[in-house]
Amino acid sequence: MKLTSILGLNARTQLYSYKYNTFRGKKVADSKLRTSQVLKKAGIPSPEIYKKFKLPSDISEFNWEALPGSFALKPSRGLGGEGIIIVKKRANDGHDFITTQRERVTVEDLKLHVLDVLEGAYSMGNIPDAAFLQEYVGRHKAFRKYAYRGTPDIRIIIFNKVPVMAMLRLPTKESGGRANLHQGAIGVGVDIATGITTKAIWHGEQIRLKPGTNRKLHGIKIPDWTKILETAVSAQIASTMGYLGVDMVLHPEKGPMVLELNAQPGLQIQLANMSGLKKRVERVEDLEVRDAEHGVKIAKALFAVRFADRVKAEEGIKTINVWEKVKVISGNGHGVYVEAKVDTGAWKTSIDRDLAEKSGLLTKSNVLWTKLYKSSLGKEKRRVISLNFYLAGRKISTIANVANRVPLRTPLIIGRKDLKGFLVKAD
Amino acid sequence: MRKLSLIFLLALVGFLASPVNVLARTPSPTPTATASATPMAIPEATARPDITQKTEETLGPLEKLLEEQKLGPVWPLNPIKYAIRSAVDAGVPANTIVLLLLLPVVASVIAAARHIIGIRGFGIFLPAALAVTFVAIGPVVGIGLFLVIVTISMLVRFSLRRLKIKLQYLPRMALLLWWVAVSVLGILFSAPIINNSSLSNVSIFPVLVLILLAEDFSRVQLGKSAKIAVSLTTETLILALVSFIFLTLKPVHEFALLNPEILLGSLFIFNFLLGKYAGLRLMELWKFRKIISS
Repeated sequence: MKLTSILGLNARTQLYSYKYNTFRGKKVADSKLRTSQVLKKAGIPSPEIYKKFKLPSDISEFNWEALPGSFALKPSRGLGGEGIIIVKKRANDGHDFITTQRERVTVEDLKLHVLDVLEGAYSMGNIPDAAFLQEYVGRHKAFRKYAYRGTPDIRIIIFNKVPVMAMLRLPTKESGGRANLHQGAIGVGVDIATGITTKAIWHGEQIRLKPGTNRKLHGIKIPDWTKILETAVSAQIASTMGYLGVDMVLHPEKGPMVLELNAQPGLQIQLANMSGLKKRVERVEDLEVRDAEHGVKIAKALFAVRFADRVKAEEGIKTINVWEKVKVISGNGHGVYVEAKVDTGAWKTSIDRDLAEKSGLLTKSNVLWTKLYKSSLGKEKRRVISLNFYLAGRKISTIANVANRVPLRTPLIIGRKDLKGFLVKAD
Repeated sequence: MRKLSLIFLLALVGFLASPVNVLARTPSPTPTATASATPMAIPEATARPDITQKTEETLGPLEKLLEEQKLGPVWPLNPIKYAIRSAVDAGVPANTIVLLLLLPVVASVIAAARHIIGIRGFGIFLPAALAVTFVAIGPVVGIGLFLVIVTISMLVRFSLRRLKIKLQYLPRMALLLWWVAVSVLGILFSAPIINNSSLSNVSIFPVLVLILLAEDFSRVQLGKSAKIAVSLTTETLILALVSFIFLTLKPVHEFALLNPEILLGSLFIFNFLLGKYAGLRLMELWKFRKIISS
């Protein structure tokens, strides 16, 4: 991969965080209480806040006996998952609590902890902070076998309303239930198009299995994937931040929720996905994205992991002719058979305007963007749509530009981009 | 009411913050003066009262250098050179001027180490202040004291947490300082046994700076894993040592004193360019080597 595909700290701060993030947005992202307010106002699901502690007197005024059986006690401006106590249930005596790490805490412990937080023991630069009690989000059953005593979360980097990269973060024994890579959690790369995990890193090194077990970390399907992506993008829009890391959790009953926002998300996500963030961010920088749904659609078309290598290993290389009959999936899900030319001289696939129109592929939601193309026919503005078709029995999900191909022999040409794992016979 | 208390709070924070800054910042230009005042006056009564051991070695040659340099007209190339001469004639130690001129050099070195190489260190102020402290009390004693203070404060924090001793935050901090002060005292008491001259010459200001720095340092480090804590400490010490070398190299001193305009101008441009650099850092190349080679 090219060096320029990778996003470093210098570029992240200077080209994206500084440039696209507002002062107000940073204030919102830095304080979990303000994040929660903004999300609530925008109608985006996030864990409920039971109680805020801003003054020491709030501690004595609060009825501690009325605490629910499970909750999380957090500082508003904590760093790196520090200062968080997560209580899972009441102890058998009915007074004390048991944390997710199976430690016993008393009400007095909790009060002292809140005092610490108010004094700024966990905030950056010791600035006085606020503490709050938050709804406990348990582990979704899809992750039960993979996370150790803690709730995994999904970090999604969003730029210009497009989710550009995602990573599932699994707490380990070492990380003490926290989903923070620096504390020893596992980072698992996720395919944006399908929500299936691809590669995993632990302490910056590639791993295949969950440490100490025989459990594969790739191929995990994250449930509700599209909704997770759309919720994350909505959170980015609400925060007014241009470049943002959104941490999502999957509530076992209530579904995807936004846990917190991160103005300067880490860059190890690139290792977990074995892919460069800079290339992806540059790809979407100038696009005009209407809303969350549109942004997710673009991301799925652009950043789908090509499983071509695996296909090649499983099915071998397929030989195709220059002229092939392919099945194009139309807007209403039906298949339409069309003649196509396999064109190794072209990079992108191109489809005829009339065919696309008739198949219902030119709807507003299916058009990703328009772009100025230079071809042998001169300069021309073309729409780019997301397109699914079957070529020689293999499903190919890709993007295609729309052109007037009436004077030409076939309404569809298939470019090199979509020909991985095929061999073209020239006679 | 709330607004009022906020203003009060702000004033309080400002009040608390400013003396810390002053304390922390003063040693940069003046450690020479403070370090000298106490230890030097006793053994060598004849020595000039405002000069450290360090200055005594270098003052003569530096002044001589100034005398030897031939200067053209004041404008446009020599204004700072003339200003330095008149200040030195008026009794300002040349050493202090050199140290002040070298402070931005040190800051630039630290900034470059972060943005080009990728050595994180701990901010820009801590390594720079450490370097100046090293100049005042010597690198060996400086590193030794720093490590002792960091270790003690981490140990105390760790054991307070382990033993679940429930104290409020500020008394807990005061207790921590109690331990640090006692252990530094212990080291000073052992000076006659170790019989190290630089240890017995230690004055209060460098020690105070060390305690303040180590405090901040251990507080932030405690949240991180032991591995990160160790690497952050080493990186900070490496940066401080490199800065220390810059602060003590004779050719650097001479260049700064004789060409202050060139030095300050080029530093300005260098930092401007550095601030615009958006490429990968050397250590990131290593971190992402597997993606790059794939």
